[in-house]
Amino acid sequence: MITIEKLEQLGCNTAEGMERCLNDESFYLSLVPGAFERKRYEELERMIGESDLKAAFDEAHALKGVLSNLSITPLLDCVSEITERLRAGDNGDYSAILSRMWEIYSRFEGMLQ
Amino acid sequence: MFVTPNFVRIDIMNEFLKDVIKLKRRILVVDDEEINRRMLSKILSSEYEVLTAENGDRAIEIITGERELLSLILLDLYMPGKDGYEVLKLIRETPRLKKIPVIVLTSDGSAEVQSLKLGAADFIPKPYDLPDVILARIEKTIQLYEAINIVKATQFDPLTGLYNKEYFMEYALVMDQFYREREMDAVAVNINRFHILNEIHGRIIGDRILRMIGRALKEYAEEHDGIACRYDADGYFLYLPHGEDVYSGLSEKIKSIEDGIIKNIHNRIRYGIYPRSDRKCDIHRRFDCALLACNSIKGDYKREVSYYDSSMLEFEAYSERLAADMDQGLSEGRFKVYYQPKYFIQSEEPYLSSAEALIRWDHPELGMISPGQFIPIFEGNGMIRKLDRFVWREAARQIGEWKRLHGKSLPVSVNVSRIDLMETGFTDEIRSIMDEAGITPEEFLLEVTESAYTEDSDRIIEVVKNLRSLGMRIEMDDFGTGYSSLNMLSSLPIDVLKLDMGFIRNIENNEKNLKMVELVMNIASYLNLKVVAEGVETKEQYKLLKKTGVHLVQGYYFSRPVPADEMEKILLKG
Repeated sequence: MITIEKLEQLGCNTAEGMERCLNDESFYLSLVPGAFERKRYEELERMIGESDLKAAFDEAHALKGVLSNLSITPLLDCVSEITERLRAGDNGDYSAILSRMWEIYSRFEGMLQ
Repeated sequence: MFVTPNFVRIDIMNEFLKDVIKLKRRILVVDDEEINRRMLSKILSSEYEVLTAENGDRAIEIITGERELLSLILLDLYMPGKDGYEVLKLIRETPRLKKIPVIVLTSDGSAEVQSLKLGAADFIPKPYDLPDVILARIEKTIQLYEAINIVKATQFDPLTGLYNKEYFMEYALVMDQFYREREMDAVAVNINRFHILNEIHGRIIGDRILRMIGRALKEYAEEHDGIACRYDADGYFLYLPHGEDVYSGLSEKIKSIEDGIIKNIHNRIRYGIYPRSDRKCDIHRRFDCALLACNSIKGDYKREVSYYDSSMLEFEAYSERLAADMDQGLSEGRFKVYYQPKYFIQSEEPYLSSAEALIRWDHPELGMISPGQFIPIFEGNGMIRKLDRFVWREAARQIGEWKRLHGKSLPVSVNVSRIDLMETGFTDEIRSIMDEAGITPEEFLLEVTESAYTEDSDRIIEVVKNLRSLGMRIEMDDFGTGYSSLNMLSSLPIDVLKLDMGFIRNIENNEKNLKMVELVMNIASYLNLKVVAEGVETKEQYKLLKKTGVHLVQGYYFSRPVPADEMEKILLKG
């Protein structure tokens, strides 16, 4: 079960995210799972692997928007870095940052389950 | 500097929406991310009704359907399919949609600039600002756009697309402030007797004419760095940098828009120009002056332009003074009816035949005022009706009194205007006046000017026929100054032609005038009409007129207009 405490333990700035939800805790918590749709992260990885930088950028950018609004800080930092590299047209090696992304993601996934 | 009229005050509008019709403004949130949509809906829903769209196509569908009701669109720029840029472009390029403000939602600094260039009203960064900040930005944007939209909707005259008077005056002031040294002309343009065009050709054609003239004036104003407005039904104002040829320029412009249906519309246009209008005067006052100049030639078919000068203002003040004093003058007996005798001259010795009743005003402060001064003023403002009725009653009473006291009947003619004749119940009113005074229709003559017959002649002829059927005689006054055709003259129900004094003046030295009188005599003889010559001042004139066969004369040669007691003496002398 997702709780504010758990999110904070994982490094989220829940106070900031909650403020955007008018400090309605249950509303905020109801939004959080939407930021962790596994399929979207897999798609991002696939697009980068296929060097489809435009599509990858759109996906990363969208995820960044959601993560930033909810203040899921650790994953946001990671996705932001990917977004900026894609925006710059970087077609290099993303394996390290992707692996970090999955590592952080898995911590949250555990909590979600 | 700019005064927003009360009815477009945004706080008043807000109050109306909130408190009167209990309406929440409607906002559309367009974002492909459900989390973002839900979060914004949560923030906005206390103040607004929120609609959401998950992509560009759905957004356009909602915008098109709700366009009159949407107060704002919050638009994400990056969306799959039709993105925010495309939606924004479509909104800005569609006239009916572009009045809806759009705030873009973006996390990119570069996108902010681009979207503002594309016409976004503002942007909200991601991650979102605090809810209060978002609400404040949205409120400000809505207020700004509503104010702009209301101003846009109210500043123009819907028929011609010109400014309306209120905004025109404001913009004229703005021009004055920006161009402090520039000399400006205030111009009033009016269509002479426009209501008749409307009556004859119908409103649709009338409106078309107004639009065409408005377009021409707008073009002229724009070509000369000026502005134009429609100030009332058939009038326009222009505020232009001073030019020596404003009249000819405007006139040429109007001539260039000749309409297929109404020929020579430019002949009906009158221009009042206040050149180098005095900036010390209030802007409204300056246009009053231009209008004063324009109105001074209203109804004058020979003059198209009049330039304002200070004497017009003095005359206006004088006119207002006379208008203000008329009622008091009537109640204090300051208006007197004078009588000028008319003599029958086709006998061995001329003898008194009748008289004309004429009004005089002995003003307590201004002294004797010539009727030539106050009658045109009272004709212009409609007060002549009251004065005419005073003369009719007084003249009728006097005829009756002389008849009772001396057993002598002196027919007296009174003037009636075209307006009098057009009034419902006019014939009954005249009959009642005669009954009250105890006089017969033969004793009460009516003088109708020739020009009265030129418009709505059928109606006038019908009224005059009714009066004649009562036994009254009708004199056509100022004959020769109007435009009666011979054909029309033969069909008019009249008994007497009254030659305008312009024909009589210098008749002894002017062969042409004498020939004209002879010609009129031939016509009158053919139509079996009597002829009266007025303004007869010399013995020579009298002799010439007698020779030509003129029946009656009136003028200083026999007698100036005299008060009732003097007229009584003349009557008794026979």
